[in-house]
Amino acid sequence: MEGFSQFFSEFFGTIGVVDSIRVTVIMSFWSTLIASALGIFLGLLLERKQFPGKRAVVRVNRTLMGAPPVVIGLLAYMLLRKKGPLGDLRWVFTIQGMVFAQVLIITPIICGMVYSYAVRTAPAIRAFAKTMGASRRQTNRLLLREMRQELYFAVVSGYGRSISEVGAVFLVGGNIKNNTRTMTTAISTLKGAGDYYEGIFLGVVLMLMAFVVQTLADRFRREEAGDENL
Amino acid sequence: MKIFDLRKQMGDFSLQIDRMELESGVVHGLVGANGSGKSTLSKLIMGILKPDAGRIDYEGLTPRDITMTSQKPYLLHDTVYQNLIYPLKLRGIRPEEAEVDRWLARCGLEGKKSQYARSLSSGEQQKLSFIRALIFRPSFIIVDETLSNLDPDSTELFEEMIREQQRSRPVTWLIISHQLIHIRRVCGQVHFMEKGRQIAQGSPEEILLRPEHPAIRRFLASTEVFYREREETGEAGMQAD
Repeated sequence: MEGFSQFFSEFFGTIGVVDSIRVTVIMSFWSTLIASALGIFLGLLLERKQFPGKRAVVRVNRTLMGAPPVVIGLLAYMLLRKKGPLGDLRWVFTIQGMVFAQVLIITPIICGMVYSYAVRTAPAIRAFAKTMGASRRQTNRLLLREMRQELYFAVVSGYGRSISEVGAVFLVGGNIKNNTRTMTTAISTLKGAGDYYEGIFLGVVLMLMAFVVQTLADRFRREEAGDENL
Repeated sequence: MKIFDLRKQMGDFSLQIDRMELESGVVHGLVGANGSGKSTLSKLIMGILKPDAGRIDYEGLTPRDITMTSQKPYLLHDTVYQNLIYPLKLRGIRPEEAEVDRWLARCGLEGKKSQYARSLSSGEQQKLSFIRALIFRPSFIIVDETLSNLDPDSTELFEEMIREQQRSRPVTWLIISHQLIHIRRVCGQVHFMEKGRQIAQGSPEEILLRPEHPAIRRFLASTEVFYREREETGEAGMQAD
């Protein structure tokens, strides 16, 4: 029993497991929150407004949805480094810097998903709101309410991307133990050291986090549909 | 409501209503072949579409006084009850449970109050949409094909509800339907549209039984249901071209 607890204390201490979980939770929470607010707003705005070059904007956004995170991470690093345009913020190798990079990665994903949903559903919702005599404010509230399931899935997808990302947070955060090391960068470090089982352990914790969020999403969906078979 | 020089271009289709009057408190029927512009006109009146030119004089009606139901009604992702009281909530009116129950019972939906609205059958969805349009007492109601594909009992129920409404508090109706029997039974005025224009306006008898315009005759000739009903009632009518 003593050997067992010694193994765990060494394991947690050496790699900084507890701190990596803490950093991952903080980073994914803030990046998902900020990217969701931006992505939902921009996605709905993009659907609503007609302007020259709109198709090009949609195409660029779709390209960014699939952009390699390491490239975005490099861009974020160049913006945030001491000599970069945002160097005064001093966010390099901080959680704020990692959140910044994550927001750049996740926002186009959420924006693109919301736009795709909105193109299909928003015109019918707006027409319905008109027939009910809803004001503009009531119509906007109805749009968010009626699309809540889709918005929720867009946010969950953003969160999934946030907790699983390695390259960008490695570049911007620096993988500093007990400071900016996330679970994914910790796994990468463990692999480098040949500690595969510990890496698997962290991977299982990550999977559990994703499972909990997905379970909540399924529960939400079941309540929405009122169908126990879902 | 009066419509003046209304124009709307949608691809190859062009709507041109030089003048149309929809007398208040009357049940109007809007008839015409598919693609004649009936739904486009109703969407322009509803404000869902913006006209390219022309104007609609609503004669004091505001967007809150006008409503519309369609063949495939939009139902909220919510219960039957929440769908029904939605227009009341928008207006800050507290729903009276007894009245809500009375509306639901009228349509045979009383046992489905807590059911997810989108799980209702299409006929039930149309009934829910219909009473949702009536519950907040609008002054102008557009019924766009809501009565199509309904079973005879439901059609009869809707007709009865329209008559009840007109007895208690007359409102203006604009009913778009291919069911000419139904149009004849409930409408006081019929407007016939073809290729985006109103080509005739008059009583149901004038338009449906004694049509002068060849386009209306052609349309009636193709409407088998109408002829069947005419044979049943033994009414004389114009021969189709």
